[in-house]
Amino acid sequence: MIKLNVNGQSKEVDVDPATPILWVVRENLKMSGTKFGCGIAQCGACTVHLDGKPIRSCSTPLSAAEGKTITTIEGLASEDGTLHKVQQAWIEAQVPQCGYCQSGQIMSATALLKENPQPTDTQIDAAMAGNVCRCGMYGRIRKAIKAAAGIEQPAKVEA
Amino acid sequence: MTTARNLACLSIFLLAACGADPAPGPVEQIIVREPGATPVASAAATDAAPANTMLADGKAAFANCAACHTLEQGAPNGAGPNLFGIVGKAAGSVAGFNYSDALKASGVTWTAAELDSYIADPAAKIPGTTMVAGAIADQAKRQAVIAYIESATTN
Amino acid sequence: MGKWSRRAFIGAGVVAGSALVVGVAVRQGNPIDRLSPLLTNGENEQLLNAWVKVDTDNVVTAVIPHVEMGQGVYTALAQMLADEMDADWNKVQILEAPADMQYVSDSIGRDFLFPNLQVPALFEPTVAGGILELAQAMGLQFTGGSYSVRATGQRAMRTAGAAAREMLVAAAASEWQVPASEISTADSMLIHAKSGKSEPFATFALAAAEQSLPAKPKLKSPENYKIMGQPKARHDIPEKVDGSAVFGIDADVPGMKYAAVKAPPVIGATVESMDATTAKTMPGVLQILNMGDFVAVVADGYWQAQQALGTIDTQYSKTEGDSLDQDAIFARYASHLDEAGEDGGDMQTEAGDVAKGFAEAATKVEAEYKVPFLAHATMEPMNCTAWVRDGKCDVWSGHQAPVNARQAAADAAGLPFEDVTYHNAYLGGGFGRRSNSDAIIMATRIAKATGYPVKMIWSREEDTAQDHYRPSATSRFKGGLDKDGKLVSWDNIHTHLFDPADAPTVPYYNIASHKIRKVDVPMHLRFGPWRSVDHSQHGFFIESFVDEMAHAAGKDGYAFRRELLAESPRHLKVLETAAKMSGWGSPLPEKHGRGIAFVPSFGSIVAQVAEVDMSGPKPKVTKVYVAADPGFVINPDGFTAQMESAIVYGLTAALYGDITIKDGAVQQSNFHDYPMLRIDEMPDVEVALINGDHERLGGGGEPGLPPIAPAVTNAIFAATGTRIRELPLSKHSFA
Repeated sequence: MIKLNVNGQSKEVDVDPATPILWVVRENLKMSGTKFGCGIAQCGACTVHLDGKPIRSCSTPLSAAEGKTITTIEGLASEDGTLHKVQQAWIEAQVPQCGYCQSGQIMSATALLKENPQPTDTQIDAAMAGNVCRCGMYGRIRKAIKAAAGIEQPAKVEA
Repeated sequence: MTTARNLACLSIFLLAACGADPAPGPVEQIIVREPGATPVASAAATDAAPANTMLADGKAAFANCAACHTLEQGAPNGAGPNLFGIVGKAAGSVAGFNYSDALKASGVTWTAAELDSYIADPAAKIPGTTMVAGAIADQAKRQAVIAYIESATTN
Repeated sequence: MGKWSRRAFIGAGVVAGSALVVGVAVRQGNPIDRLSPLLTNGENEQLLNAWVKVDTDNVVTAVIPHVEMGQGVYTALAQMLADEMDADWNKVQILEAPADMQYVSDSIGRDFLFPNLQVPALFEPTVAGGILELAQAMGLQFTGGSYSVRATGQRAMRTAGAAAREMLVAAAASEWQVPASEISTADSMLIHAKSGKSEPFATFALAAAEQSLPAKPKLKSPENYKIMGQPKARHDIPEKVDGSAVFGIDADVPGMKYAAVKAPPVIGATVESMDATTAKTMPGVLQILNMGDFVAVVADGYWQAQQALGTIDTQYSKTEGDSLDQDAIFARYASHLDEAGEDGGDMQTEAGDVAKGFAEAATKVEAEYKVPFLAHATMEPMNCTAWVRDGKCDVWSGHQAPVNARQAAADAAGLPFEDVTYHNAYLGGGFGRRSNSDAIIMATRIAKATGYPVKMIWSREEDTAQDHYRPSATSRFKGGLDKDGKLVSWDNIHTHLFDPADAPTVPYYNIASHKIRKVDVPMHLRFGPWRSVDHSQHGFFIESFVDEMAHAAGKDGYAFRRELLAESPRHLKVLETAAKMSGWGSPLPEKHGRGIAFVPSFGSIVAQVAEVDMSGPKPKVTKVYVAADPGFVINPDGFTAQMESAIVYGLTAALYGDITIKDGAVQQSNFHDYPMLRIDEMPDVEVALINGDHERLGGGGEPGLPPIAPAVTNAIFAATGTRIRELPLSKHSFA
């Protein structure tokens, strides 16, 4: 049994400690928001926070998370369901297309803003370069991060 | 218990030829266990385990590194370079691997100590490295992995 | 050829006694005999497609016969229906049609039959094959070819919405004893201003179903559009930011186990033997299967299955493909093209006297271009969950053609179509890849062998090496200029033709004589549609060569194209808009260049200007200006997003995309050797939309792609004088 703290809740799982966190979260904890993309930390679809830092869960063994705090996309909203400001900015800028990479994008973006609330364009690019989006919504990702940081407001699309 | 079931290929192909079953079933089906059945003790645990427990720990921990790195002499580069004989080499010198400019320009020669600080936090040691995963925070585990890499590549 | 109106009708009925339902049907019969068996399952049965439902709580539900893969189709099609209906947009719901032909031909379906109705002239196909186009797009629930809005939306969703509105009005007129002409509609309400009466649609939903159907529902003209043309927020986005959106890979079936698979590296080879000695002993492993054409490990967890699979030593059969290398493939193209010579190959289109044109030309230019194989690399690797038991089969995946997926699963399970239930989820990228059913078939076969539910996931390595690739191709051109530098003759011969047939043609350019031919070259690799399909190759070929001709004529690329488009004002406007946006002709810093390209495809006209910075070791695309005319833009924000997306997909391929073959096998495996464009390489993209013809809608998902590669390579030529005739750019050194 390995003890974990995921999204503020204590969990115990009985799996090989070498198992990547990705598969434990998806299969054992049944939280499917974190995605499998490449398995070798090249695409960022599996990004979660480990003690607040963004990590590639496809290439990080469960043993590395013992006694630490994991946050996944499901744990970003506040307890009353209010979305994180980054998630809200994502909706306002109409970022996702297919949406598959977006959990990872949002986890990288929230980690960036926590560390650096007013990132420059270069800092945004550097922090987000590990996250691939095949639908190519990079321009909107930049805009949404700036909007969440209060640097600029996107043109809001009608509901 | 392991049961092996070699299905009769001939009958499958005959069926396929009749058009009754356009998608063939298995040519060979090894049923190791039914779902829910208790797993038998794994033989893998004792399989060629290094006598030295540090090396054994290192080998186990390297499973995670193996997603990107090969260790055998002459094995191809993956998302990361082949690590055969890495200790003593200059950083960015494995043939055929597309290194980041940062790593090539780092001036590092890999010793156990250099590897230790790199694996602890690659981006902190060499900002701009493309090694974005595989950091090992636990010092004992890091040293076990380095010992394993050293032993496996110099034997 | 018969009239469209005899074969397609709108219909209405009542579902579950509580709702008005309106649909558009395609009837079995000529000229789609070949297709009919796929569309309907009995004589005189009707296939019902798009429909709208009005519930008792006044919610209007649009049923969308397409899949959502990020292109925003749910929202755009619902906008078309809701606008014609005057529905309250805030109370419109969206439902993806089930992959089920049964439901359209059972008693509910039959209620829809009103075979004497006519469809407005607007919807009559303007070209032969219009029925086929519509049937492909909505009948098979196929999503691709940028068809959704221009076929389903324009021909079905709007008609269904307008018909529903007229029936509701008729029902209210009858109840209120007032002329229908005095009743207006807005926000899902029926209003009679004179008497002050107003009621929600729901009040008359049942009575409306009993009204006779309008023979020709009157569609709105653009000045009356309220929802069409507005940048409405996409319905699918909120669940894509909190992790709750369910993709195929997220299927969760009780008792489900996990399968990892490996197919022979050389496509067409079979598994001769496997040594699973180690795999059998590994934790979590349940079954190891040699399926003949691939090996599968089934385990309690996917990672366990993948680890065990990696230990299996597999021997593969020898095939003819084993000897094939990258160079040999292009040598084969060259020899086939050489063999065809001046007049061989299959003629695709010919006009004027090409020989005479060349004989009289003052300047002749020849050039050869090459493009590589490309993988789709959808972010969500191929996957499928299947459960075959007790003569039934359930399948969960994300597929561009759910009915095809269901049929493929039925074949693989050896069960009738009706015993298979197909559950479609969001697609983590389609781009054409998910129009193939290979993963569906594999998962169903594994599940059939095990008897319990199995989720099969391809590794990224498998996804890269077992794709249905965009074909590589070689294209050769000869062009002739008259003494004034006017393009007067055009001779093109190229390898491969997949779809659409017009991709190599240039009817919009005024060239006095031209002939376009192709040669087929056999190849063991599997090919499949890849975003914009053949336009992805020919856009680069044609627009590179036009640029070369402009240079030979001593003219600017924009000015040269303006001359060629002088007689096509709609095309010309698009070209001019892109050029103006870019400040074409204004000075740029040293080692910077501007390139223009113009490609009409899938019914939309797109021009792009790219700016490149060649001062570094590799090209950096800094800015892309896009002008697009899809006839009428239903959702400007969604369409703009499609332009941005297509540019990134096409630019990724132009910069890096290169699937190469060695010993018959694909050499690339994952994102480290099949790289993707990342955010730090993203150019600024500025998009201008033009509504050029509201009666002829074009597609949105694909037309933004073809111009980007030639716009970039033409810009590189402008900056450096180096003409790129082979993609990707990573093959070239710019140091």
